[in-house]
Amino acid sequence: MESLPLSEPVLLILMSLAPEPRHGYSILKDVERMSNGRVVLSTGTLYGALRRLLDEDWIERFEEREVSRGRRAYRLTAEGRRNLHLEVDRMKHLTRLATLRVAAEEK
Amino acid sequence: MNDIYQRLLWLYPAEHRRQFGDEMWRVFQDVRLEIAGAGALVRGAFFVREFCGLLGGALREHLREMNILKVGIPLSTRRFNMRNGFRFPKSTAVLMTLILLGVILAIRKGEAIANSLPHVNPQVPPIHSVPSVMLSGITFFFVFFYAVGLIGWAILFAMHRSGVHRLDGISGARK
Repeated sequence: MESLPLSEPVLLILMSLAPEPRHGYSILKDVERMSNGRVVLSTGTLYGALRRLLDEDWIERFEEREVSRGRRAYRLTAEGRRNLHLEVDRMKHLTRLATLRVAAEEK
Repeated sequence: MNDIYQRLLWLYPAEHRRQFGDEMWRVFQDVRLEIAGAGALVRGAFFVREFCGLLGGALREHLREMNILKVGIPLSTRRFNMRNGFRFPKSTAVLMTLILLGVILAIRKGEAIANSLPHVNPQVPPIHSVPSVMLSGITFFFVFFYAVGLIGWAILFAMHRSGVHRLDGISGARK
């Protein structure tokens, strides 16, 4: 996949959408929570990323019926979920490798 | 601040504004309400972040529309950017060219100043302008070392020793 590895904000956005669909504000807060306040997205950055994810068909959006303000929510597509799994696998591999190398160096 | 935000939204391409303008505005309002009672530092950081985010985002979207910027999924944060693709150091080339132009301009300026100074002390010989040989020399060395670097890198690339191919194994295994 050419567009992997993902940047941290994009990875966090995808992780935020993995368990359930969310709207913009909810994604913003979830990303902040997941990163312990280290990654705080601006609306410009968030919607730039969402647009690219929509263009690549990694996410899709839909109207939330129960929300009175007619907010549009976003959810992962099958393609997006697949790529998230690939990225997690890639990171697992790197972490495993790094752990082995660091352990070998310490011996 | 609301006015400023809405005005800044106009910096975005029309298509992006049509698709996301209202949502961005709503999210901005939500966050603004949330931090309304916070300290000046938090509010200041929020406004600076939003301002920079909008300016950067608008610029990125325009470049993207013009196909100048081939933005894929990743946003550059230099955190997980271990890429296995070919990355020519364009920024280095641009910076070196800018530095060279700066040096040329400084030499020209120095020549102009030296020529404009009156020669009042007969015991001190007049200041002569820097001959153009120096300029050609700088250009020659710039081109020469750049070419040598490029050839060296091409050799390493051909031998799969440039570092570009290092992560190919990981990508290949995943595919």
